Amino acid sequence: MNVSTLIGNRPVKKSLKEYARGITGGLLFSFPLLYTMEMWWAGFSATPVQLLALVVVTYLLLLGYNRYAGMRPGVSWRSVIIDSVEEMGIGLVISFAVLYTLNRIQPAEMAFSEVIGKVLLEAIGVSIGVSIGTAQLSTADTEAEETGNDDDLEAEKEPGNWGMVVLAFCGALLIGGNVAPTEEVIMLAVEASPVHILMMALASIGLSVIVVYFSDFKGTATQHGKDFLFWLILDTCVSYLVALVVSALILWFFGRLSGVSFWTGFSEVIVLGVLSSLGASAGRLLIR
Amino acid sequence: MEKDTNSARNRHDEKNWLEWLIFCLSLLLVLGILGYLVFQVINFKPTDPDVYAEATLDPSEHAPNRYKVKVYNKGGITAEEVLAEFILYKAGKAQEKSELLVAFSPKDSESEGWVTFSGKPANADSVAARIVSYKSP
Repeated sequence: MNVSTLIGNRPVKKSLKEYARGITGGLLFSFPLLYTMEMWWAGFSATPVQLLALVVVTYLLLLGYNRYAGMRPGVSWRSVIIDSVEEMGIGLVISFAVLYTLNRIQPAEMAFSEVIGKVLLEAIGVSIGVSIGTAQLSTADTEAEETGNDDDLEAEKEPGNWGMVVLAFCGALLIGGNVAPTEEVIMLAVEASPVHILMMALASIGLSVIVVYFSDFKGTATQHGKDFLFWLILDTCVSYLVALVVSALILWFFGRLSGVSFWTGFSEVIVLGVLSSLGASAGRLLIR
Repeated sequence: MEKDTNSARNRHDEKNWLEWLIFCLSLLLVLGILGYLVFQVINFKPTDPDVYAEATLDPSEHAPNRYKVKVYNKGGITAEEVLAEFILYKAGKAQEKSELLVAFSPKDSESEGWVTFSGKPANADSVAARIVSYKSP
């Protein structure tokens, strides 16, 4: 493959617009986290293994999101891989710039590990935001211009079951992640009685069903015909389970599950699951 | 037909010089961070926090007996709610006590603060610093 094949004639102006959308999305989706002090604290408390796992998981999520919800249909895995690296890089730079502007990092005075920890932790949300922004914030005209055919785009944006799981994972992480690091989750969990926890679980499931099947929400299910009940139950269960898994993972990362009883940990997961399930259902449809 | 599909695919995969530049910079950044993290993972020893404090006289117009204090953590993990105590000795006798609470003291970090005592400082004064308590995050 020669250089001219690699460097195409895609206008730079288009790329700049795409980056602008990405940066807007990155800031839009991650500002709450960038302004959350528990996130800064978690940045210097996280171990190198946790941070490494975080980078790997974020990259995998970006791959999944770009594959199943990317803007350009027909895009190859090579482009998906390249775009995901770009989005991580942009996320890291934005995260550094915002934290520096907010005076949350002082590279000259702080230990390097502290700076890296804070930047990396915030960069997860920013990177996913950049990816979503690039794909979702364009106008219909821009999309049509980019893709050439709206039908192609819509067809490409009909992910299979695995694709929906990936998108549900991204949606749950994006919505649940905004609240997970705060003290409020543990406060709600320890002060709730079993009845409250049960009500929260039922509310989460009910919301998922309403969003996906009964609200005419953008991208909601309209097909499945005679197997409606089967798909409703399967979709709701998978969506809620993904939300609970994501909630448990985020809470574990922020150390909210260590040193607590099984019931407290379980309650925390259900409490955060209310938000995550909304992310897994409504979020996944919005970010498609 | 297949040729058309391939051509459309190639068009969507096209990248200009700016996109390649940003990709290369991003790749360098991500690989650099991964390399740093792998190095840290290999060398990481989760030792307990090792926190200590120092105080030096730093008078100001309104607080002549003010001391600038620094709280260091040379341990392997972050210390939370670090309570440092400073005792002012005059002529060898404990005279007064001040405290400073540091919310977080990350590993390999130093936090600055000030404590004040009543009266005016004398040449023979000395301040003993001690960490009273802290917890893991």
